[in-house]
Amino acid sequence: MRIPIRIDEHRPEPLYHQIESQLRGLILGGQLAEGVLLPSIRELAASLKCSAITVRRVYQDLESEGLIRTRQGQGTYVARVEAEAREGHRVERVAEAFERAVETGLQLGCTPAEMEQIFRGILRKISDRRKEETT
Amino acid sequence: MTESAVPAVSLRHATVRRESFTFGPVSLDIPQGFVTAVVGANGSGKSTLFRLLLGLAPLAEGEAEVLGQPVAPGADERYKARVGFLAELPHAYEGGMTAEEKARFASQWYPGWSWERYAKLMRAFQADAGIKLRRMSKGMRRKSELAVAMAHDPELLILDEPSSGLDPFAWKTLLEELNRYMERGDRTLLIATHVTEEVKRIADYILFMHQGKALGFYEKDRLYDGWRVLVVQRRTDAEPQAAPAAELRRVPGLQGMAEAGPGLFRLETNAPEEAEEACRAWGWNILAMQRMELEEVLGCLIRKEEETR
Repeated sequence: MRIPIRIDEHRPEPLYHQIESQLRGLILGGQLAEGVLLPSIRELAASLKCSAITVRRVYQDLESEGLIRTRQGQGTYVARVEAEAREGHRVERVAEAFERAVETGLQLGCTPAEMEQIFRGILRKISDRRKEETT
Repeated sequence: MTESAVPAVSLRHATVRRESFTFGPVSLDIPQGFVTAVVGANGSGKSTLFRLLLGLAPLAEGEAEVLGQPVAPGADERYKARVGFLAELPHAYEGGMTAEEKARFASQWYPGWSWERYAKLMRAFQADAGIKLRRMSKGMRRKSELAVAMAHDPELLILDEPSSGLDPFAWKTLLEELNRYMERGDRTLLIATHVTEEVKRIADYILFMHQGKALGFYEKDRLYDGWRVLVVQRRTDAEPQAAPAAELRRVPGLQGMAEAGPGLFRLETNAPEEAEEACRAWGWNILAMQRMELEEVLGCLIRKEEETR
């Protein structure tokens, strides 16, 4: 199977970090369900144009986090993910997005009050739009 | 990919002397279970390295081991049956043979020979076994020789410029077949290539060669992650620098520097994070930061090597 991971060569993060965080996201986000067979180390390395050493490092890390499991001779599977971990990941992803927005705000000299105002404004605008779309 | 203690190839101060060229001394271990790309200009010693591993170029000094067996005059040569080799240039004396005849000859040499594997490879490469090698196009001959080199599923596969003469479709097939060969995890591939894209797609490690010397042995992704180009410019509010180049020469990990435009400097570094931090602290703006291409890294290594001579 083809796993939707994209390496961005212009990002400063090391390749293994990029691959690992995206694969973790796909598992915790539920796009890769429990029991799904992952590509072999060589296959994934070839499709991402990275080395087998990097993919092996990623699989080892995710295995020790309990997100994937390797069965001798059968391959690597997505493990069962607790609802709690999934929930934690969901909140974490949103928090990261807010963090980036706040950083941009501070860089451009916004005060906290201004940012709160912008946030409420956007929240109102988007919820109104959604309401309209559903009615 | 078993974590094997025994490297597929091990050299200790290995030196080969020929009339106009010296290879070595080179000391290095090539790990089993991985793909190592050998990169360097023509005449850098790639082919001599391979001939040395096959016992075709005698060592003047030092030691060499292949698949745990010493390579030396009079030593046990049975390891060769566990190695597959594709030479850079075809052998003229084989021109009169068909691919089939060459395969039959090879099948007697290699205990691991499988006609089934051979037939599968020939099919994958869409090569015709019945034509005389001499009458084949360059690419077709390359493909049928690859099939012969791989049909005994060697523990160590040595390919010298395998993609020369291949069209893009055959090239893609070659990469697929090499990945398939590596799949079970205990095979080792040593591949000399000029094609950067090939290194990017298939290599785990990179060995740089220059004028018979090994300039470095790197894990590929660490190399891509660790070597960067920074373009920097003096901040307008920073104190003017009388000798900016002298200051930048102290940037951590600096491998190369060039003035890219008025007040604009292009820095090559293998300690990108520290370099970035230093530049900012000294009053420079980072306009761009990019991973380096393989050729650029090789260029840096060659320059450094020549400075020390």
